[in-house]
Amino acid sequence: MSRRTTRRVAASTLTAGMAVALAACGSSSSGGSTGSGSSAAGGAAKSSNGVTQVHITLTGGDSDTCTLDTTTAAAGPITFHVTNKSSTAITEVELQSDQRILGEKENLAPGLAPVKFTLTLTGGTYQVYCPGAKQEMQDFKVTGSAPKSTGGTASTLLNQGVKGYAKYVTGTVQSMQTAVNNLVAAVNSGDLEKAKKEYALARPFYEKIESDVDGFVLPGFKPTDNAGNLDYLIDMRQSNLDPKVGWHGFHAIEKDLWQGGKITGSTKKLAAELKTNVGKLVGLTKTLSYKPEDLANGAAGLLEEVQTEKIKGEEEKYSHLDLVDFNANVEGAQQAFAFLKPGLDKIDPALSKTIAKQFSAVEGKLNKYRDSKIAGGFVYWTPALRAKDASTLSQTVQGLQDPLSKVGEKVATAQ
Amino acid sequence: MTDGHSDVSRRRLFQGAAGGVAVGAIAAGGAAWGLWPEQAAAADRDQIDLTNAHPFYDEAHPAGIATPPQRYAIYMTFDLVDGTLATDLQTLLARWTAAIAQLMRGRPVGQVQPTRIDAVGGDSGEATGLDPASLSVTVGLGPGVFDKRFGLADKKPALLADLPALPSDRLTKATTGGDLSLQVCSDDPQVAYHAVRNLARMVRDTAQTRWAVLGFGRASAGQGQETPRNLFGFKDGTRNIRTTADLDRHVWVKDGWLAGGTYQVVRKVQMNLEIWDADMVSDQETIFGRTKLEGGPLSGGGEMATPDFTAKGKDGKTKISLRSHIALAAHENNNGIKILRRNYNYTDGINQFGQLDAGLLVLTYQNDPASFIALQTKLGASDLLNEYIQHIGSGVFAVPPAPRTGHYIGEQLFA
Repeated sequence: MSRRTTRRVAASTLTAGMAVALAACGSSSSGGSTGSGSSAAGGAAKSSNGVTQVHITLTGGDSDTCTLDTTTAAAGPITFHVTNKSSTAITEVELQSDQRILGEKENLAPGLAPVKFTLTLTGGTYQVYCPGAKQEMQDFKVTGSAPKSTGGTASTLLNQGVKGYAKYVTGTVQSMQTAVNNLVAAVNSGDLEKAKKEYALARPFYEKIESDVDGFVLPGFKPTDNAGNLDYLIDMRQSNLDPKVGWHGFHAIEKDLWQGGKITGSTKKLAAELKTNVGKLVGLTKTLSYKPEDLANGAAGLLEEVQTEKIKGEEEKYSHLDLVDFNANVEGAQQAFAFLKPGLDKIDPALSKTIAKQFSAVEGKLNKYRDSKIAGGFVYWTPALRAKDASTLSQTVQGLQDPLSKVGEKVATAQ
Repeated sequence: MTDGHSDVSRRRLFQGAAGGVAVGAIAAGGAAWGLWPEQAAAADRDQIDLTNAHPFYDEAHPAGIATPPQRYAIYMTFDLVDGTLATDLQTLLARWTAAIAQLMRGRPVGQVQPTRIDAVGGDSGEATGLDPASLSVTVGLGPGVFDKRFGLADKKPALLADLPALPSDRLTKATTGGDLSLQVCSDDPQVAYHAVRNLARMVRDTAQTRWAVLGFGRASAGQGQETPRNLFGFKDGTRNIRTTADLDRHVWVKDGWLAGGTYQVVRKVQMNLEIWDADMVSDQETIFGRTKLEGGPLSGGGEMATPDFTAKGKDGKTKISLRSHIALAAHENNNGIKILRRNYNYTDGINQFGQLDAGLLVLTYQNDPASFIALQTKLGASDLLNEYIQHIGSGVFAVPPAPRTGHYIGEQLFA
């Protein structure tokens, strides 16, 4: 059960479109102090091979400063060179427009070689943002006009990605419905071994898209009433039971199959309920729309699930199929990232590359546990195996979680 | 302090608390008051100024070694993840250096509360409002940094190598080794933990934590400090290096890029407190070679008296056992070898057998790890104390010289 914000179906379908529109207006509440009378030196920006060259120098001491050699430039391609001479407080520099990041450099520290980024800017007022500087925000004026780029902006790419992701979610939920129907049929036939196998095959679908569907509250129920919470009804574990509502869903069936070791009338009732609730989920999922930051935060949420439940073996307490769920959480996060990647590549290619590399690292670690002979495709996450390997797996996921946690901000402010 | 918050009240509070402890100790033990009046006076002297900040850049030697030992320490080692490049290592060291400079001034390592939507904090925030509390951070480079991975084999410090197996070692893999180490010391444990946590956090995609020890109650004396006690109740570090001349002779490396730096050898030593507590104090004194309360050598004189290892009692035996801890460790009996110790007590709670899980974090500095090896070879073979302790963790690291302003720790490696 996720700890993320509750998504109410009705509200979600109404506001999703609005939220996009609002985001497009940009926020008027500005962060740091926007310097109107900029402190930087004047003079025309130098040009080289048709590209305007702007130098930003960071210095430290009693207060850290971020100095531009010019605060105006003609429209067109502009390369920003950033040198950290001695500032320990300023570790990143961004060029912004209304709090949207157009370009940036991170991991700046004294002693490292200068870095640069190039942007094609049209006329207007931009801000150079140096968090940690005495004056964090400085205006940068661009005069004249440069031809607007014809599509392919970060925001266009992100919106395309978001649409693709919505299809991925509905497709996954429909596959889950098929798999759950197979599980129900196996339970009804009384075949314990077949039911176990179908359980293992049905689980990953939910875990791939859990962060998108775990906040559904059925119409007519209060958000705090678990009897109307679809995630509760489908995926609740015994450790977090609400006594008023009782136990339902996958894990109640898991306990019957593995710990009870037999299929009873109660198991069949649970299976029938699961089928109904998954049916409701299929209907609701079709109504969803997303913002780019939903994908980013959802991906981060899936990795949180890995760290809080799967690593500890709490999710599949009886079947020890946690690595199947683990892999599905990672795959779901990877899908969300894949749909954001073309846009993110425009905004922050270094971050995009780091995340791709870290996904491969996690995948590489997980591959060591694959076993095609076991239903679900992974070895059992037994207490002995956990004691041996949980720490290194968790750290590898952490190496992915940290860069991934930065994506929400990047895509929420993209243009 | 430059952050503008009131530090006066905090300082007063802390002094008040220290005074309270001293009064409490006197009230609790009337006998102690009679036996030990000079200690009550010492408690009054040993006040902590939490606003104190140690210098970091442009020093002759790295912070945290000759620095008077603070009350708390956290020691953590890291492994560089597979696929790390030399440039990643460079960025890591540069980012750590800048961050350490910030932390040692009592400043955050980024925004605690970001101004933009969907942004994660740069600094975790739990030290906000706290003073520098004499924080020092010392970075160590393990032998692994100089293997084939980063092309730094030709820069390997001449004397840096894994320690050989030493007598009585019972090392566990989970508390041994590492490519990088951080020794973080402070008079406020929250300040120390904040530092190590944020330094670990900012490099998670490059370096994974390997092992950590949380130390309290410094158990070794620096220049001008009262001799503290270890968990066996004995004064520890009476004959520690306390003069600049001894530091120059025994601790600082003279040549090569490491000049001004040193070698760190660290050991996690588990102490069997229950067994020790059941031993008669006269036996405990024989084991250490000193009296328990005052800490004077058994050959006579006060704490600071030079031990006489030849003095004999009426029974014809030496007054200080030749197998006592001080006899085996004494420079007089080891060709003049001295090492600097910055020990801390630690506890990990209760072990699997229901016993107190505690001991000594031994942090040593010397200009040749062979000095440690020579002493520990002798102690491990013969020390009467061995019945009550186990060396369970170990590491060896080169500590680069202090960085100059505008540069970073270990920059010499990449020249």
